[in-house]
Amino acid sequence: MRLLASLALQNLGRRKARSLLLIAAVAVASGVVFTGATLMRSIDRSMAVGFTRLGADMMVVPEGALTNITAALLTVEPTDLVLDQDLFARAAITSVNRAAPQKIARVEHSGIGSHHDSVDLIGFEPALDFTVQPWLVEKLNRDLRPGDVILGAGRTAPLGSELLIFGKAHTVYGRLGKTGVGTHERGVFMSFATLEALAGSVHGPNGPPAALQQGKVSGFLVELAPGATPLQARFAILSTVKGVRVVTGDSTMSGIRQGLAALLDGILALMVLMFASTALMVSVLFSAIVTERRGELGLLKAVGARRGQIVGMMVIEAMIATGAGGALGVVLGILVMRLYERSLVYYLETIGVPFVWLDGPHMVAVAMLAVVMASIIGALGSLYPAWRASRRDPYDLVRGEG
Amino acid sequence: MLSCRALRKDYVTERGPVAAVAGVDLDVAAGRYAAIIGRSGSGKSSLMAMIGGLSRPSAGQVLVEGTDIWSLSDNALSAFRNRRIGYVFQFASLLPTLRLIDNVALPGMLGRTGATKPLYARAAALLGQMGLGDHLDAYPGEVSAGEQRRAVIARALINEPALILADEPTSDLDEQTEIEIMDELLAVNCERGTTLILVTHNLALAEQAEQIVHIAHGTIVA
Ligand SMILES: Nc1ncnc2c1ncn2[C@@H]1O[C@H](COP(=O)(O)OP(=O)(O)OP(=O)(O)O)[C@@H](O)[C@H]1O
Ligand SMILES: [Mg+2]
Repeated sequence: MRLLASLALQNLGRRKARSLLLIAAVAVASGVVFTGATLMRSIDRSMAVGFTRLGADMMVVPEGALTNITAALLTVEPTDLVLDQDLFARAAITSVNRAAPQKIARVEHSGIGSHHDSVDLIGFEPALDFTVQPWLVEKLNRDLRPGDVILGAGRTAPLGSELLIFGKAHTVYGRLGKTGVGTHERGVFMSFATLEALAGSVHGPNGPPAALQQGKVSGFLVELAPGATPLQARFAILSTVKGVRVVTGDSTMSGIRQGLAALLDGILALMVLMFASTALMVSVLFSAIVTERRGELGLLKAVGARRGQIVGMMVIEAMIATGAGGALGVVLGILVMRLYERSLVYYLETIGVPFVWLDGPHMVAVAMLAVVMASIIGALGSLYPAWRASRRDPYDLVRGEG
Repeated sequence: MLSCRALRKDYVTERGPVAAVAGVDLDVAAGRYAAIIGRSGSGKSSLMAMIGGLSRPSAGQVLVEGTDIWSLSDNALSAFRNRRIGYVFQFASLLPTLRLIDNVALPGMLGRTGATKPLYARAAALLGQMGLGDHLDAYPGEVSAGEQRRAVIARALINEPALILADEPTSDLDEQTEIEIMDELLAVNCERGTTLILVTHNLALAEQAEQIVHIAHGTIVA
């Protein structure tokens, strides 16, 4: 009914300050809920990516190696120390499901990027790998061959194009998705054979990096056997193979997963509280508004408005205000997220979360959900007071007592 | 046209029940002009509100054109009020956010879907008839109390009701305005044959009525 809708609008306009306060309060709540939900969904997606793509629960590196244990376990870290490639094959540890060996060499003057950029050349064993290939988002329509390289998400070169590494021609075979892990995103990946073939061309200060030697690797990414605990695996590894360090605990995905779950629970609880308190506030406010406007409601009823129309008018009024608040909150939420995007993503990465933003369509869906939820809060908050008033005799309402 | 049977209204107050209307039997024939008189607090407004379908009786019946209005559902009663009864309150009763013309058209808009053009034409004509042709777009706060009351009468007439209930429509207005407004109401009663029930303190006005109902302490005394 157009008339009732325009009455509702006029009523909002009559008390501008109060309407604005209501809109602001709902905007804050919806902003928090929208931001929370977006972050939650983003983290959720990051985790989903983590579950399907990052299998590494532990990393096994040479004993003296310095490792940046804060990053997600996608690649080993560049170091001069090496391990034997067949370490795990020989040891046969039952609590380890698979152990993917990796070689990594941080090199300069490779011909990739600008002259002084250092580049991580990362070798993996295609048959054992579970942290590189699952990330392939584009690739040539054929199997990986010697001489092929795969680029991290941070590097741009067309598929199939030629890439010179220390003067040797390689073919860009594929590109990896965004992981949020620096080494992974900037890395140039290739099979062991391809990497080892570069040994003669790489001139480090002390000759070619040790990791390029045949049979030697920089470390292993370990996936636990189903049911095995990190502690069991750690003991098993340390007691069977010598000269290694096991990176595990909170720095691994398992710890991160638990931490994230707690974070998500916290956000969820906050959102539920926010929703409830806003609904209560709107309800209290609308009780007052209905009381104040009893006379008008009585008049409308006296001249023939049905109960449904009276309730409808108040509910529409509330929904317009809270819906506008919801939309404003979404806009504010987007601004805040844009403003803090860098520090947020950086922070999450330092605690080991490979952050992947929610994509556009999902973000729009969450935004619409926030606006709809805000409108629902308005509807719920105004429904009861309006319904109660609509039950009264018009004469009582018009006289304005009780 | 109208008949009330054993009509009662008891209000519950902190100092116990108040019998505002204590058993009223009243018949008004169609097309009549009836005046209700009585001292302040005698129960006139309470009676009118029950007749007009605005206040549920504690006991008794109200039949308007043979319809027992208080046995109707809430929605049916709203529709009945909307179509058959025009009510002029004792106090200001226009919606402040609507222009006079919207206020007058309002009962026509409620419960009906149809072209609004003829409705607004009718509303404008009624306002013109009430001498408010220059104030169609004015808001209630921008016109005098007497003009507001005229607009309320125009609103009461918009759906061409069978019964007009006017509860002291002129008590807060000056004498000249009172006469003008009463002339409008009586003209409606004469020309359209609309039944008119008027509550008034003004005995001169009451004496013109075809039927005088005198109320004291919630009952009819003459
Ligand atoms: N909502 C109410 N609650 C309690 N008592 C009420 C209520 N409405 C009216 N009364 C009482 O009922 C009695 C009749 O009131 P009513 O308004 O019908 O009188 P009235 O004849 O219209 O008076 P007036 O000429 O002053 O308008 C009065 O004693 C009044 O105090
Ligand atoms: Mg009265």
